[in-house]
Amino acid sequence: MTDFTTGAGVPRNTTSTELVAASLKRRRRKQSRLQWIGLGAISVAFLMLFILVSSLISTGWQAFTQTHVTLEVYVDPEEIPVDRLPRGGFDDALAASLGKMVPGVDMSDRKTARAVESILSNGAQFSLRDMVVADPDLIGQTITMKVPVSDPYDQLNKGLIERETPEENRRVKNNEIAWFDALVAQGAISKPFNLALFKNADSRFPEQAGLKGALVGSFWALLTCFLIAFPLGIGSAIYLEEFAPKNKLSDFIEVNINNLAAVPSVVFGLLALAVFIGWFGLPRSAPFVGGLTLALMTMPTIIIATRAALKAVPPSIREAALGLGASRQQVVFQHVLPLAMPGVLTGTIIGLAQALGETAPLLLIGMNAFITSAASSPFDSATALPTQIFIWADSPERGFVSRTSAAILVLLGFLVIMNAIAIYLRQKFERKW
Amino acid sequence: MNDMRQFERDVKMTNTKITARSVNVHYGDTHAIKDVDVDIADKTVTAFIGPSGCGKSTFLRCLNRMNDTIDICRVTGLINLDGKDINHKSVDPVQLRAQVGMVFQKPNPFPKSIYDNIAYGPRIHGLARSKADLDVIVEKSLRRGAIWEEVKDRLDQPGTGLSGGQQQRLCIARAVATEPEVLLMDEPCSALDPIATAQVEELIDELRQEYSVVIVTHSMQQAARVSQKTAFFHLGHLVEFNDTDQIFTNPQDSRTESYITGKIG
Repeated sequence: MTDFTTGAGVPRNTTSTELVAASLKRRRRKQSRLQWIGLGAISVAFLMLFILVSSLISTGWQAFTQTHVTLEVYVDPEEIPVDRLPRGGFDDALAASLGKMVPGVDMSDRKTARAVESILSNGAQFSLRDMVVADPDLIGQTITMKVPVSDPYDQLNKGLIERETPEENRRVKNNEIAWFDALVAQGAISKPFNLALFKNADSRFPEQAGLKGALVGSFWALLTCFLIAFPLGIGSAIYLEEFAPKNKLSDFIEVNINNLAAVPSVVFGLLALAVFIGWFGLPRSAPFVGGLTLALMTMPTIIIATRAALKAVPPSIREAALGLGASRQQVVFQHVLPLAMPGVLTGTIIGLAQALGETAPLLLIGMNAFITSAASSPFDSATALPTQIFIWADSPERGFVSRTSAAILVLLGFLVIMNAIAIYLRQKFERKW
Repeated sequence: MNDMRQFERDVKMTNTKITARSVNVHYGDTHAIKDVDVDIADKTVTAFIGPSGCGKSTFLRCLNRMNDTIDICRVTGLINLDGKDINHKSVDPVQLRAQVGMVFQKPNPFPKSIYDNIAYGPRIHGLARSKADLDVIVEKSLRRGAIWEEVKDRLDQPGTGLSGGQQQRLCIARAVATEPEVLLMDEPCSALDPIATAQVEELIDELRQEYSVVIVTHSMQQAARVSQKTAFFHLGHLVEFNDTDQIFTNPQDSRTESYITGKIG
């Protein structure tokens, strides 16, 4: 009897345990498969990111240094008379001083002289001119100055032009390499940090080209964008979320705002071209117009982020304030909005980071113009970081290849900084209820 | 004890604070409250009991127009506070809620300091003329909330850092800080342990000296302990409204009897 009971009971138990065990095995397999797929996906993503960043760094790092040559320049009063400033033969002064350092060249031969002179950057004479104009007492003296070399010699010094290449395929000829090597032997060649990359605006000559114009343009555009999109975005989000009656019209507006966030940016550019420039007559290529355009694009992002943040504030806080006799406006501005602020700020910064990297609308309003000075107001012509990258990527000079990568690295740097600020703000103001 | 309550009740019975007549509440298509008539006396604790979903909380929220904040909610009928219709268009719900305070089911202190939690109501209503005034109000309210001794040394710390029972007493103190005439409590002890519950119940009994208290509760023992009058709600109807002793010892309606004996609900 006892045997029978256990005999009947145990097998049944075992079967169900076995069934569970079998299914457990299957479930575990499924789970581990999923984990491996996830790991694989993450690895691929990381690999891509690694390839992107490392290729940018490997081509871009060279642009952060610039080959310079140190010259003893005699500022000849004959060539550069005080009364003719700022005119004068500044290039001849530089060429003469360089000619003394390069052995075996006849500087009286115009062709040779020009070849020697082309070692120096075309912009070098202007630095000398600016120095002399600022201090005319320099005339008649010998001054030591470091001037950038022109792009082919910079490439040669950085090893980007290879000496093994047959002469006819090489931009720098054998005799020119000999001149340069002579300068190196004299210790006149140095490769300091490329300050010009941040101090200069755009230039036709890669060794003179910098990002200052683009940085200033992006700054003005983002400032305009923030000043317009932030208050308008938050205002509309608060109205829609807290005060607007829930009816067909507000549903319609909500759907449209969500759609607006997905509209391709080039469409905003066309709109800006037609409305801001065509209709309002605002200046072309101006960061102010760029900012307005970017504000149109950023506003939906800010509205959506703000509404989500407002929605996430627990209703118990609203009830508590309402129950004490706070008006709706007091509830929103004294309780809900302060609690939603981290979400709002995060959304805003992410929107601005998007705007910083946006290229297409800026191309349409002409912020890809060639402008050699930084904008002093938001209404001056300027480029922005992404459009500057676009211009440089399009330029034929070899020096712009590494400069394009360097500019992308600078842009990525700013994006990382902005996102870091967003994360910091979120962590700092996050509350637990 | 029981005799004393009886005595007090007899004295105050005549002084009616809130009169509700044929109150109906609709949530969209749902008819949540059906023709409720009730008189709530001053300086008395009135308990609303009934099974879940019977409408007792909904009715409570009618008394300070908290239902206004729900779009689909429609309230009809007459509710008078001191003889004045609270739903009349000349009545500002903001002012009404300063007169009729509310404590919620879940403790909901603001994520601010303990001091600011209490001071918020007096500040927005302009009850304090100076910082010193405000300090007095804060201390008095915290004492009434029976929490002063526990928090007097850390008024600048966040109210959310207190324990659940302390938070609920803080919320009660916050509600009394605006000097309301009626205090509505929506299941104030449902999130509390028995010790905190006992403290809050003791507090309710003290508050009765100055306020008319209306409490919604799921616990019949609690209703019996703290209230003088009890209303039993069932499926949106006010089934029975009488002295608490009467309801629990001699219910007139068979549904009330089934509920208090545990047969329904």
